Amino acid sequence: MFILDRILPFIFSYIRPFIKWFLHAFTRLSELQRICYGAKAGASRTSQVERSLTLSKRPQIRRLVLDLDEAAPYVSNAELLDFAPRAARIVMQAKRIKNNVHPDFARLFGTCVTSIWGYRRLMHQVEQLRAEKYDSDNLDHEQKLLRLWQLLMPDTPLTGRVTKQWQDIGFQGDDPKTDFRGMGMLGLENLLYFATAYNDAAKHVLLHSMHPTLGYTYAIVGINLTSMAFNLVKTGAAKTHFYNLVVQHRQDFSTVEDFHKLYCYLFFEFDRFWMESDPRNIMDFREIYQSFEITKLEALHNDSTIFKTNLVVESV
Amino acid sequence: MGLLSLLRKLRPNPEKEARILLLGLDNAGKTTILKQLASEDITTVTPTAGFNIKSVAADGFKLNVWDIGGQWKIRPYWKNYFANTDVLIYVIDCTDRTRLPEAGSELFEMLMDNRLKQVPVLIFANKQDMPDAMSAAEVAEKMSLVQLQGRTWEIKACTAVDGTGLKEGMDWVCKNMKK
Repeated sequence: MFILDRILPFIFSYIRPFIKWFLHAFTRLSELQRICYGAKAGASRTSQVERSLTLSKRPQIRRLVLDLDEAAPYVSNAELLDFAPRAARIVMQAKRIKNNVHPDFARLFGTCVTSIWGYRRLMHQVEQLRAEKYDSDNLDHEQKLLRLWQLLMPDTPLTGRVTKQWQDIGFQGDDPKTDFRGMGMLGLENLLYFATAYNDAAKHVLLHSMHPTLGYTYAIVGINLTSMAFNLVKTGAAKTHFYNLVVQHRQDFSTVEDFHKLYCYLFFEFDRFWMESDPRNIMDFREIYQSFEITKLEALHNDSTIFKTNLVVESV
Repeated sequence: MGLLSLLRKLRPNPEKEARILLLGLDNAGKTTILKQLASEDITTVTPTAGFNIKSVAADGFKLNVWDIGGQWKIRPYWKNYFANTDVLIYVIDCTDRTRLPEAGSELFEMLMDNRLKQVPVLIFANKQDMPDAMSAAEVAEKMSLVQLQGRTWEIKACTAVDGTGLKEGMDWVCKNMKK
């Protein structure tokens, strides 16, 4: 294991320039060009471009990567779209790629750049929402919580702000405010998005969660799934999904809404996975949650994976 | 160090393994304590559905710490984890004055169980960093912990989020492990 983990990457970092020189001499294309022309659009191409950029030893390119990393968390959409032409200009200058000889390069490469730094911005946006604690003195937070109830339980009015009724939708006690914990407002926004955008699906899942023997605590499981989605993004595992998503949906970059959609997909799928696992009771949660996470991580290892949020509820 | 002693060190010693049960009401801080003991990041803790388990090395012991969810719906399952427990750690949220009686009755009810008869109990008076937190002495008095006479027990003040007091508590656990 030591050889695989330490020595091989070390050797590789030394021979990489020779391989690159060799391929460049024979193909007359730089590595980035070979990737952009050769790799399939989506996660395959974008990840390879990302790797090539981060491993680059050229000072101009290293500077570029650092600059974009520093700016990415706070840029507006328009500013993010400016990253691509800027990066293309610097790379083409550094690698002496002429636009009239390679008219497609700037476009293909630029798409990858927007996607890569769009993801990095998303990481930051999601982290900010997570770090925002649920505050019961904040009117906006309170209203969102009450709206969640209305969307999930439209026929049952709440008898008060602090009530045992919250347990019906799977919070732990009579006041949900402490249940958001480490997931903060991201947990509530996720639950709310699922209940708003896919109301039928959310109610369907809620109904499953109320099953007398196969039931689980809807909101608490939901907050744990926020944690799963958050970790997939934070570790970079979700890049496969988001890099493919922008290509398939002809978007420029992924947004917080795409993150919410990933969450809805996970919740809907987890519900099915839970039911199929035939749990004895909620104490089986840990095991089932972990196997579910493993199946999702395995899927993300495949370059062509995209988690489709096709939440159709069969009405019987 | 010779090869033999190295191998001996690597071989797991079954006598030194212990089963620790971490219980308490929801939002008491059980998972945060568990993660602190395992030196893991505590900023992204979520409510426990079911349970968490981690093995922690301390004082030559391998502590298998079971952190069971504290919400009302899960409490009926607590008893499924009582068997073979070496030490029970009960966590109290010292800012939650309204639910302190509930925390007390859950503890005393649980201790009636035969499987916990000889088990030492450590009570962690958690969240001491909060301005309105009750002190360990106040918690002990309000829960009338004197009723625990005849059992090895201790109450320790702690702040799970920064780890204050956890080491002292775990030292007590290792010293008073059920023989």
